[in-house]
Amino acid sequence: MTVDSSGVAVGERWARADGRAKVRGELRYAADEPVRPCRAVAVHRSTRPHARIAAIEASRAAAMDGVLAVVTGADLYAELGDRIFTGPAFADQPCLAVDKVRYVGEPVAAVIAHTAEAARAAAEEIEVDYDDLPPVHDVDAAIAGGGGYVHDELRPSAVFGDLKHLRGIRDTNVNYAYVLRTGDPEAARGAGEGVRTGDAGGATAEAAHTVRGDFWCPPTHHVPIELPYTAAWPEGDRIEVLSTTQTPSYVRQSLADLLGLPLNRVRVRCAPLGGSFGAKMYDRLEPLAAALAWTRRMPVRIAATREEAFLLTTRHGAAVTGSMSADADGAIVAAEADVRYDTGAYADVGPRITAKSGMIANGPYKIANASVRSRCVYTNKPSAGPFRGFGVPQVTWAHESLVDELARERGEDPAAFRRRNLLREGDVAAMGTAMHSADFATCLDAVTEAIGWDAPLDPGDGRWRRGKGVAVGIKAVLTPTISNATLQLNQDGSATLLISTVDMGQGSDTTMAQIAAEVLCLGEGRVRVVTADTDVTPYDTITAGSRSTYHTGNAVRLAAERMRDKLTGLAAGHLGVPATDVKLTPDGLVSAQTQETVGIADLLHAHFGARGTTLTTEAEFSTSWAPYDKETGRSPQVTEHWFAGAAAVRLAVDTATGRVRVEHLAVAGDVGRAINPALVEQQLTGAAVMGLGHALFDQLVFDEGQIVNGTLLDYQLPSVKDMPDAITPIVVESPHRTGPFGAKGVGETAIIPLAPAVSNALRDALGIRFTRLPLTPERILTALQKGTA
Amino acid sequence: MTATIELIVNGVRHRVPVEDDDLLLDVLRGQAGVTSAREGCGVGACGACTVLADGRSVSSCLARAVRYDGAEITTADGLPDDDPVVDAFVARRAMQCGYCIPGFVLMGHELLAENPDPSDEEIAGHLEGNICRCGTYQEIVAAVRDASRKEHA
Repeated sequence: MTVDSSGVAVGERWARADGRAKVRGELRYAADEPVRPCRAVAVHRSTRPHARIAAIEASRAAAMDGVLAVVTGADLYAELGDRIFTGPAFADQPCLAVDKVRYVGEPVAAVIAHTAEAARAAAEEIEVDYDDLPPVHDVDAAIAGGGGYVHDELRPSAVFGDLKHLRGIRDTNVNYAYVLRTGDPEAARGAGEGVRTGDAGGATAEAAHTVRGDFWCPPTHHVPIELPYTAAWPEGDRIEVLSTTQTPSYVRQSLADLLGLPLNRVRVRCAPLGGSFGAKMYDRLEPLAAALAWTRRMPVRIAATREEAFLLTTRHGAAVTGSMSADADGAIVAAEADVRYDTGAYADVGPRITAKSGMIANGPYKIANASVRSRCVYTNKPSAGPFRGFGVPQVTWAHESLVDELARERGEDPAAFRRRNLLREGDVAAMGTAMHSADFATCLDAVTEAIGWDAPLDPGDGRWRRGKGVAVGIKAVLTPTISNATLQLNQDGSATLLISTVDMGQGSDTTMAQIAAEVLCLGEGRVRVVTADTDVTPYDTITAGSRSTYHTGNAVRLAAERMRDKLTGLAAGHLGVPATDVKLTPDGLVSAQTQETVGIADLLHAHFGARGTTLTTEAEFSTSWAPYDKETGRSPQVTEHWFAGAAAVRLAVDTATGRVRVEHLAVAGDVGRAINPALVEQQLTGAAVMGLGHALFDQLVFDEGQIVNGTLLDYQLPSVKDMPDAITPIVVESPHRTGPFGAKGVGETAIIPLAPAVSNALRDALGIRFTRLPLTPERILTALQKGTA
Repeated sequence: MTATIELIVNGVRHRVPVEDDDLLLDVLRGQAGVTSAREGCGVGACGACTVLADGRSVSSCLARAVRYDGAEITTADGLPDDDPVVDAFVARRAMQCGYCIPGFVLMGHELLAENPDPSDEEIAGHLEGNICRCGTYQEIVAAVRDASRKEHA
């Protein structure tokens, strides 16, 4: 594809359109937006991990001052029926528990009151009688079964059509399994001590070096500082919703299904998000708010507390049993992974996570014999859903620990060993899809060079020990998806861009403006992006999975190119020359033949005969895939493109306290082309900081299914004091053949290899291989005392 | 019980009725039209609700409003247009989602009032109680450092 580039916008470090408003606190987030006076909602939550609801006593709550209504799941079920069960993969989650509760903290009843205080007080007065059922807390126990089942049967939703075949399956907690098998089937016959998930066992048995491990990543929480919030109100025969969501188009469809309304009677409005990282997408507060507003015919608002936000969604805890083998020449010949994702009580998007990370669970290496089994497992915990990285950091924790150990087993430098085995441009990966615009080797080289990989480490004084570590990561972009853009060029030469991408801090409003401006030769500040509103902005699958720069960016580019073509056509008529003679430049439309120029404002004024008019174009951009084979897990086009990244760490560890001090952290991502390098660097650094938390301390702790650290007094997040002495973000650009100006996304890239890079540096410093995250001082001290993790 | 207190919010006098348990954050948002201070945790652990009361930083999600009768409250949106800390944050691109940033700006103000030339370590020490989940700490520290130099110049 050839893309005309004016050079005015792409590659420039434009300031965020809303930067000053953010600093001064003038930007309005959803809960800051004035809407009509809404009734407050408070939720009464389950105290049991798994139980039948025998009775709900709500009469005392209903009689309290200021209380307008108490609503139970049974009440909503009576009006909405099975439509009360929503979810992207399985229609398994009711907005209020029906008949049964499946985790501690599940909403059981809602109180609508004049004030939040009255609603909360009444919610506490509700009493529920439970008949306890055996709870399933552990992912491996859940797979074994026998202890009970979280759901009676699987209920695929209408959203993801490829899960239909799972309908009605009973007596299992495994709601989805992805299997990958490549290589010589004969090789499987010699399977020795491998994890026996496929054909790789035979190759493992014959290899010169084999390493194995059982790995664990705990559940974590996104903790965007903005709390989830939804306001919903009936507006005549319509429902209107203002919500903290990354997925307005999804939510509109979900609420239309829930309430049995056509799409044009559901309006979902967004505001800029105060962070999300996957927390605010698909069905969160919106189904409950909409169901209450619609069935009780009153405006309601649900403002989650921080404690409630912890219960809305989590990141999957994941267990990986894996092995990796090299031949005598140092080529990786086989790898296996058995991955178990704990998706909690409701599947959310867990099945997609299971497949998307399963297909790359052996890492970005040339591996002839690869075998993966990846399973999504129900347990009696809060639902786990998407989180920056979409399950990939969990499998990367395993493969980047294994590959590091394999290099050490061979006595080879871990960076050099990786470099030799990495997938290169055009290589077909184990899952069957070729690599393009995924320059792992350059990312690896860039981060190791940045931290001075080859310079000798100061060995320290005995108490402090130093080490260096590196890791790489691979992830597929969400495919297939759809984006649309509508562009209005105003008569004065400014432009208004309508898209449903949600700016949650990644800077998409600025990036998309730059793409349009590049095509139309417009300067900084001339393109305004309208905040997503399903009445106004066109359909977009979701803002997630680092998909927007490529997908929405392409829709914006196409809409802008159509606008450019319209303008050159109008200018040709205006100037009396053929359209092929007219070129759009920063000075206006120029005839190559006559050198006559007309500005956009004059051209449109002349065309319409009026000021303030608009010229409109629109475009749709979608990607397609070839579904993977159910037996082999392989597909020639499993994704539209790949994310490639690397991280390298130099650190010192205090053997007296177990404290880790990161002296230098370098992260690199192949972004195809950086539309705005400053924003790309912030995404790389921000993801690295979040990943550092996952490496060192960040985790949700459960006791008998109950979160025990679900407040910000107890849940540790990276603070300014946890920063490395130096962070180096590195932008690698190998242009994508169909990216807008070669660009791809970057939001997740740096978080993927972060934790194993830190762990590999600890291995280097201490000689100890850690297999469980996070690498807390306590875990490090215990390992030092035992001499092994 | 209900008391009427006076809050001077960014120079504007507000007489507001408050109950003993009313939180300063709720009173500022509900009765003084402030939206730049926001709840993030409700337990004083994230700093998104930070305001200055007579120049001292306060976690307004924990503070009882009734204790601030007569106080001069400053919020980020009340700072002057040419505020050097705001300008430094903008110039350093010290924002991603932006939700927590007003709290950091006010913490920076408090620090520079006490210590006009802080070291990076002193800056980090003063900002430690505020959380930026987007991980913009390098830019934030650089912005406070720049603002300190500007105030000296």
